Amino acid sequence: MTNNFIVSGSPHIHKQESISRIMWTVVISLIPAGIAGVIIFGLDALWVTLVAVIAAVLTELIFGILTKKKITIWDGSAVITGILLAFNLPSGVPLWLPIVGAVFSIAIGKQVFGGIGQNIFNPALVGRVFLMASWPKYMTTFVNPLNYDAVTSATPLAILKEGKILEHISYWNLFLGKHGGCIGEVCILALLIGAAILLIKGYISWHIPLSYIFTTALFVYIFGAGKLFTGDWLFHILSGGLILGAFFMATDYVATPLTAKGQLVFGVGCGLLTAVIRIWGGYPEGVSYAILMMNAATPFIDRYTKNRIYGTR
Amino acid sequence: MNLQEFITIFISAVFVYNVILSRFLGLCSFIAISKETKPALAMSSAVMFVIVMSSGITWFVYRFLLLPFNLTYLRTISFILVIATFVQLVEMVIRKLSPQLYRAFGIYLPLITVNCAVLGVAVLNIDMFFINGKSVEGSFYYSVFQGVCVGLGYTLAMLLMSGIRERLELCNVPKALKDFPLAFIIAAILSLSFMGFSGFKV
Amino acid sequence: MKNLIKEFTKGIIKENPTFVLALGLCPTLAVSVSVANAIGMGIAATFVLLGSSLIISWVRDFIPEKIRIPCYIVIIATFVTIAELCMKAYSPALDRSLGIYVPLIVVNCIVLGRAEAFACKHNMGRSFFDGLGMGVGFTLALILISAIREFLGSGQILGYTLVKGFEPVFVFGMPSGALLVIGLLLGFFNLLKSKKI
Repeated sequence: MTNNFIVSGSPHIHKQESISRIMWTVVISLIPAGIAGVIIFGLDALWVTLVAVIAAVLTELIFGILTKKKITIWDGSAVITGILLAFNLPSGVPLWLPIVGAVFSIAIGKQVFGGIGQNIFNPALVGRVFLMASWPKYMTTFVNPLNYDAVTSATPLAILKEGKILEHISYWNLFLGKHGGCIGEVCILALLIGAAILLIKGYISWHIPLSYIFTTALFVYIFGAGKLFTGDWLFHILSGGLILGAFFMATDYVATPLTAKGQLVFGVGCGLLTAVIRIWGGYPEGVSYAILMMNAATPFIDRYTKNRIYGTR
Repeated sequence: MNLQEFITIFISAVFVYNVILSRFLGLCSFIAISKETKPALAMSSAVMFVIVMSSGITWFVYRFLLLPFNLTYLRTISFILVIATFVQLVEMVIRKLSPQLYRAFGIYLPLITVNCAVLGVAVLNIDMFFINGKSVEGSFYYSVFQGVCVGLGYTLAMLLMSGIRERLELCNVPKALKDFPLAFIIAAILSLSFMGFSGFKV
Repeated sequence: MKNLIKEFTKGIIKENPTFVLALGLCPTLAVSVSVANAIGMGIAATFVLLGSSLIISWVRDFIPEKIRIPCYIVIIATFVTIAELCMKAYSPALDRSLGIYVPLIVVNCIVLGRAEAFACKHNMGRSFFDGLGMGVGFTLALILISAIREFLGSGQILGYTLVKGFEPVFVFGMPSGALLVIGLLLGFFNLLKSKKI
């Protein structure tokens, strides 16, 4: 019973939906992107995703048994973590990599904080940055899209970071995901379909994704190219993990601010950090780091954007 | 002396090589005092002040006392004496001027003397901005600025950590991990996130 | 004699400076990247601990109460400088890899902590063994952490490859890995403690 207590200031919204229903709907909303990933990168994408999900669920199960607490694997949150982690990986990684990543995500990203509802950081991203730091070679080796013989190719953002001229890749191809990248991040079309489901059902609000994407685009427009106000903002929106991150990871219920105002601040912060890393940092993509840093700042954002309690000044 | 160098120092000291999360200086005070925000803020401001002032003073001592008289091997002893004396002075001044502030700082002030960050930054400044026994152009400004940035990095880490740990008071963390172990794990994740800024180049 | 041995052994397990007293963490994490570094730092720190404990205990009746901390610091700093210079002369490679953490032994909480908590209150014999025990405990803790980190982070210990075909987990060579290892170790020891009682 204690696991159902969430301490927060009023007002509280009572809804019919339980945590499980929301979580499993999120899983469904991620399926289009998963299918797109398999079409673009081949069956490897499917194995990576399955392995990550199974590892995540098993880890949570083992923790539940060891700590003698309620077994929570049926609420779908571990499944989501597994899927999101897999979506952040290139399809060509050796299968032990998503296993280790998923175990780390659940164990260190979630369970040490006390389990669901209590993690400070987005668990999938915790796993991803761990993998990135531990095996950079595997994490940056991408497979050619739609050409299942794995000839490695770099992501558009990586090419940009190295200063090489981008052979003109059309926005349409970026939108459909016909380029190198991580399993779940490339097909913007599929991601937007999933995001639409969540938005329509009201499970995520537009505040974070909109402020996040808008801030990144604005900043990149102003500073992203040699001269001011010449940045290719559409390219940046459609590349890398921005759409995946803004709609599915920056909107994590637990690790993000409670109020609308707080969420806007959160989104702007993520947008700024992402843009700064993309433009001047050593890594070509900054979404994971930006979201984690803002996760860390969330307790403070919450504190200063708290709703006024009725009757007090 | 150019803007680029200053920006690099800033990003380095605050994010990539954050004094606590990457260089581990000031870790003891970090783990002990970051449980609540008020003490964390108090400690951070005191530390920042001491670091900035001692960065400046130790620079002078090295440049005009140790170097010309070939006494560079006395660096450790002289620096720590400077720092200890300075902290003692600050303590006395604060006690005289504002007993309230003195009480607010409590035990933190004398603890700063042994805060690795203070001596660490002083030594780091010398290693970074003196080459072959001669000072790099603008090294005084770089040193003091690095002191400021290190103070900012320290404050950032402390504030983030205290916010998180206050939040965790409401969660049921596994018993073996309560307090210190979890604090280290959180610091590990913060450290990983800050790595996002590595390779920063303006 | 039994008392002296007790002073020595308590520093290794019951009052281990790193895992129980949580002192001196700054250099512990920074230096534990490789076992070689750990041993080097451990020896240097133990030397300083021994020297300073002895001297401080010797002059403990002569140091006025009010300025005792600065006096301790000067004594400790002297030994650190000696250690620094010896290291620079006899093993410059170690000196370079330990970097700024050698002079930082001065502010290592273990050294000052033992001076304040023990050496100034006990005679030279007991202070010697206390310092020795703490130094050995510190070194052992350092070796444990760095063995884990070096093995996971590069697949080797002291330069010898242990397991063929092991994919090193680079994060353990990084600061983040250090924090992770000590967090998990502390949690593990807490678990052991609660199970024992």
